[in-house]
Amino acid sequence: MTQRRENSAGFLWISPWILGLTAFTLLPMAMSLSYAFTDYPLLEAPIYVGWENFSRLATDPKYLHAAGRTLAYGCVVVPASTAVALVLAAMVNASPRWGRLLQAAFFLPTLVPSIAAAMIWIWLYNGKQGLINQSLSLVGMQGPNWLADASWVFPAIVLVSLWTVGHSMVVYQAAMRQVPESLYEAAALDGMGPVRRFFHVTLPMISPSILFNVVTLIIGTLQVFAIPALFSGANEGTDPQAFNFYTNELFNQAFLNGQMGYACAMAWVQLVFVLALTGLTFAASSRLVHYRGS
Amino acid sequence: MSNTSSIIRSPLQRLALSAALFSLAALFLLPIFWMLITTGKTLEQANSGTLSILPDPAGSLPTNVADNFSKVWTDPAVTFPVYLRNTLVVAVLSVTGMTLSSAIVAYGFARINFRFRGGLFALLLATMMIPFPVVMAPLYLIFRELHWIGTLKPLWVPAWFGGAFSIFLLRQFYMQIPRELDEAARIDGCGHWGIFARIILPLSTPALAVVALFHFLHVWNDFLGPLIFLNHRDQFTLALGLQLYQTKAGGTPVNLLMTAATMVVAPVLLLFVLAQSTFIKGVASDGLKE
Amino acid sequence: MTRRAAVASIVAAGAGFAAFGPRGPRAGGSGRVVLDYWEKWTGDEAAAMKQVVDRFNDSQSRIHVRYFITAGIDQKALIAIAGGDPPDIVGLYNYNIPLYAETGAILPLDELGSPEATGLGRYAQGVRPILTHPDRSGALRQFACPNTGGTLALYYNAGAFREAGLDPTRPPRTISELDEFAEKLDRRTTGGEYQRLGFTPTEPGWWPWAWGPYFGGTLTDAAARHATIDSPECLSAFSWIRNAAERLAPSLVSRFGAGWGGSYDSPFNAFIRGEVAMILQGPWLANVINRVNPTLDYGVAPFPIADALAPIAQAGPVGLVEADTICIPRGSKDPEAAMEFIAYTQRQPIVEFLSTKHFKSTVLASASDEFVSEHPNRGVAVHNAIAQSPRGFIASRTRQFPQIRAEMGSLMPAVWNTRQDVRGLIAKTHAAVQRLLDLEASQKARRQSAGGSGAA
Repeated sequence: MTQRRENSAGFLWISPWILGLTAFTLLPMAMSLSYAFTDYPLLEAPIYVGWENFSRLATDPKYLHAAGRTLAYGCVVVPASTAVALVLAAMVNASPRWGRLLQAAFFLPTLVPSIAAAMIWIWLYNGKQGLINQSLSLVGMQGPNWLADASWVFPAIVLVSLWTVGHSMVVYQAAMRQVPESLYEAAALDGMGPVRRFFHVTLPMISPSILFNVVTLIIGTLQVFAIPALFSGANEGTDPQAFNFYTNELFNQAFLNGQMGYACAMAWVQLVFVLALTGLTFAASSRLVHYRGS
Repeated sequence: MSNTSSIIRSPLQRLALSAALFSLAALFLLPIFWMLITTGKTLEQANSGTLSILPDPAGSLPTNVADNFSKVWTDPAVTFPVYLRNTLVVAVLSVTGMTLSSAIVAYGFARINFRFRGGLFALLLATMMIPFPVVMAPLYLIFRELHWIGTLKPLWVPAWFGGAFSIFLLRQFYMQIPRELDEAARIDGCGHWGIFARIILPLSTPALAVVALFHFLHVWNDFLGPLIFLNHRDQFTLALGLQLYQTKAGGTPVNLLMTAATMVVAPVLLLFVLAQSTFIKGVASDGLKE
Repeated sequence: MTRRAAVASIVAAGAGFAAFGPRGPRAGGSGRVVLDYWEKWTGDEAAAMKQVVDRFNDSQSRIHVRYFITAGIDQKALIAIAGGDPPDIVGLYNYNIPLYAETGAILPLDELGSPEATGLGRYAQGVRPILTHPDRSGALRQFACPNTGGTLALYYNAGAFREAGLDPTRPPRTISELDEFAEKLDRRTTGGEYQRLGFTPTEPGWWPWAWGPYFGGTLTDAAARHATIDSPECLSAFSWIRNAAERLAPSLVSRFGAGWGGSYDSPFNAFIRGEVAMILQGPWLANVINRVNPTLDYGVAPFPIADALAPIAQAGPVGLVEADTICIPRGSKDPEAAMEFIAYTQRQPIVEFLSTKHFKSTVLASASDEFVSEHPNRGVAVHNAIAQSPRGFIASRTRQFPQIRAEMGSLMPAVWNTRQDVRGLIAKTHAAVQRLLDLEASQKARRQSAGGSGAA
């Protein structure tokens, strides 16, 4: 086949994706970028305002609070989740007899739709009748007023995130299985104990997998929406700021406060930030990530 | 093969490991377990604040379960059967579209050497990083112009144009199919479509199953999409329907809520029990990047 | 059966259900105008409204109203109206009216209805400002009718009063009396932990923005252009809250009250259990009381006001007036028919029926004797009086109110839990609210000068 025929064939075959990309990704992105420079209450026409939305963002305390909170959430959840997933993966891999069952147990929570998970956890977190506080009172401890007390909302949401580490765990399990046994034997001969082998053999050898997962996790965590949105509907009196993460604030501005242009500005800041953070992670990883064959 | 088994040597260590793992596993399953337990209770018992697995007269468990499930299924205000149907319609149409279109596009990326292929593939990967909120509002406006707001179309039509994750997965899989098979088919007179239909597609059923499964999960779980694009209760999906049981100032019928949640979770759990290896293969394969 | 067969049959069953499963309810009765009515209530409250809808449908044959419970209605309604696919009748929260009226999302009702059926004069004085708002040209129009409403009052535990040596027929009338009674009602264990609190502003803590008016202060001026949170009156309100915190010790209260949040509608309700002797609450509390402990001996009185305000209060009790409102969205398929339904819901017997079922007070200018005597809340007359009082107050009539409320929701815990200077905290919140109001003003001004707004 000539190169020209290959070119047209190629584009023909990928044309569904090209069409979809244009209509459902590139066009909306261009639209939201242009709306970011307008005041657009949805029900009336947009009015051009220049950079006003962006300068408002820089001084808007509610926005800054939501952004800070989301960043903090990412800083806690990404390392914690990765660490737990790695440890669980190693442990489950070390128990071949019950591996399949244990894997199922840890993976199952990731399949629960977020709305159902939110409802279940709201019930678990109930201050008087919830399972958690009931169990704590059995051992004589007084559980906090979880979702009703603004200072406990953040840990509550983090805990729900950690509940779904099963997905990462399975990924790490598979990656760990690919590490050649010979490396472990060599390390053992060098006198390394199990913990040192974990840090000096396992982790470096699966580092590409860790990198990919961490990047995916960062992208996902910065977009958290459903759990905080649903938790905020649980109690009447809690400080709503506690549930206000980035996407929640964006959604409220767009659909509740009639500030669609402002919300689009927020979305673009989020995009730029995610790209920057991803780029940084890749760059920082070049020293840490060890690719096979090098 | 589990090479980390060499880390643990003594039987005592093995026992400790198992004990730790099983306790953790029990903790992880506890929320789901608790949801199931609550479907067997009446409202007073669920609200009573006493820790118990079985309802008060333990024999009332079957009647409570039947009662709760029939109340949720036949509730005139929260019409679960309709929501189930809507979710299934979106799922069937969306999964079919996603699988077919992604298979086709992935073939283009895997088997045809066209100009800009590398750059376009990199673009494909990059789109996985775009947060949904960036396109959320304009998509809504686009669908409004198309008069699709108020229908299920915004939820499944975009899937017919392929998705980055599915295309990526399938392309990686295709690259592992030996080219000799292509050559053989070409000698027989097949063009690209022939190779695709006769060689690639039949050989890639495991990968197609993974794509279908994962997209199904995505559709089943989707909350933000239906929240924005669906207005009328006739069109709600299960995710939105479940939200209707939530009240702010108390009065939430917890036993019914947990029953409804069970109905939303059960199909996915069932699929998992039947197809655990497919799930796991699908999850594991996306982490093996070089 | 092999696994594959099992999966295949499930998929087939799913596809079959998708194709042939139940669809949503279709219009009942041919030839009728079918109106979709979205309402925010769930559970029993929804059931009561459904009865009203059914009665309306049965009472005539021209219009059929389909009633839909809608979660998160303040977001969904805007999305639907902006999306060109709105309901025909919508039940909004009263704080939604400013945004919806200003952007033309709801239609003015004063030209659709008649003054006898739906005019402002029918309603309690405190409720009227909830129903009106300036339209795009600045003229004051009526945009909503109320369907149910409530006011906030002081609920007190008569049994606890007697125990503490107080007269249960003499509730506190001023803030200093409230503090005095509260101290007498506190009970502690020998270890110093609380067994009963006389009063704490944090239980139930549902209206952190609404303390100012009991001291004569407001959040904004009448036109909602300027914040007035830094007024001396609001300062006294929050200083009073700070004093209460210093007296009660928030950590002790928190320990005592762990679990109160989320227990409103359960046997663990703090007031019903006698754990808090006096609270600020609305008439709907009687619903929980009757279900959980019908023998509870409780009293209802207007919430106490600052001593300095006492002479002014002769004109009428001070209290927050709220109402749920019913409106007609832009794009409703038949506004006249929708108005006919709304007018039906505004008839006195219907209003009183719904208010009784919802355990709420009346929104009308006067209540029938049967309503008061047969109402399940023994204090409903107090709630009615607050609605009819010239001294009742409502949420600020600005589209920024949800955000203002959020700001106040952050101010309250800062005042209660921390030792930061109250004046400083108030100043910060005042500045934040003023910024919100300035933003609204500048956006409106810009839109006006851009040649009025063409609808998008």
